[in-house]
Amino acid sequence: MDLNTVKERAGPREFSPADDLPREYREAATRMIEFHANSEIMGAYLERPFIRQAPSIDRKLAFSAKVQDEIGHGQLLYRAAESLGVKTREEMLDDLANGDGKFLNCFHYPLKSWVEIPMISFFVDGAAMRRQATLRRTSWEPYAHAMDKVCFEEGFHVKHGEDILKELMTGSRAEQQRTQEAFEEWWPRIIQFFGPTDDKSTHHDFAASVGLKQQSNDELRDAFLDQYIPKARKHGLEIPDEPRIRERDDGTYAVEEGDLDWDEFFTIAKNDYEPGLGQINGRKQAQEAVQWVRETIEDDATTAGGHAPQAAD
Amino acid sequence: MIWEVFRQEKTGGYHTHCGNVHAPDREMAKQFAAIQHGRRKPTNSLWVVPREEVGEIDSEDVVFGGATDRSYRWATAYNTTGEDAREVVESEDEQATAERQRGDD
Repeated sequence: MDLNTVKERAGPREFSPADDLPREYREAATRMIEFHANSEIMGAYLERPFIRQAPSIDRKLAFSAKVQDEIGHGQLLYRAAESLGVKTREEMLDDLANGDGKFLNCFHYPLKSWVEIPMISFFVDGAAMRRQATLRRTSWEPYAHAMDKVCFEEGFHVKHGEDILKELMTGSRAEQQRTQEAFEEWWPRIIQFFGPTDDKSTHHDFAASVGLKQQSNDELRDAFLDQYIPKARKHGLEIPDEPRIRERDDGTYAVEEGDLDWDEFFTIAKNDYEPGLGQINGRKQAQEAVQWVRETIEDDATTAGGHAPQAAD
Repeated sequence: MIWEVFRQEKTGGYHTHCGNVHAPDREMAKQFAAIQHGRRKPTNSLWVVPREEVGEIDSEDVVFGGATDRSYRWATAYNTTGEDAREVVESEDEQATAERQRGDD
């Protein structure tokens, strides 16, 4: 299939591994899905220490279930990406451990305290879900199928995240204040989740023309603000003065892009952001630390012939 | 030789199991599948898979998820205030349906 045919046919779930697709399409889809898969893994690594720090047994259970889900999403997405035939799953995992794999801006920042958890589990997950819901109509069928399962599970993450936010914002004055401070620190990063404005986005036009991407960065960001600004206010959070957010006549919101730190964003995008190196190196160390587990599993599978495992639950 | 047949109704949909055919080889299995399973119901694509290549694990072997109370894992367990994003509502609905279909009451 040539590129023009791809563009003509581009529609929801239109292309599958049975189709002979041009290199440009397969490379663009690989870049997009690999980034998404890496982000699931790096998000899980960021949140994992908080299973231990969760303040109650209920939170601990729910939070470990959530982290487990995110790792599962990473696995689904690496499958969808490798089915394009550009990179193997091994290559993608190696790149991530080497520090070459790219992932979401928000997961480059260290997460220091429990009051920051809703910033990821409610706002970033809410933003991710907004985007993922549109990707159920992406043109690469295995990606769309992965999104079906991801969206099914993700509703729990967002609502649990909101529950944590509610608990903190109805807690002691000190808790409320620390949550507000965390919100101020994270708010610009959350808005940058959706990437640069349409005119500065490097990959948008092509991805949209072949149906990989269903909505532009600007459309997604505005839709997120419309939904989550009222939510934040409802829980008693004050929206920071910067970046300036303009309310349109119809009650929807738009952000003043120039108020955001794009130098920092693009430094992060190149994996060069100093405070974020801890995240990248942490992943590398974890990969090395559990090398023996992978080896044991592989040896066991080849020698013992396997036995019925406990069902993944 | 028995071949299990999976039918996809339209582009982008899932291939779901719809039956099997008896055929001596893959080519014949595809033809029989097309005739037996793709003739009446809407069909975009069929897969045929040799039965002996299918691995099975069932509730005799293991206890699948849902045997213990894990309500903390469901969106329905959390009450939120104000209007939820539509994709969150959609996910919660899908989860509620799955919970009902489990029939573990």
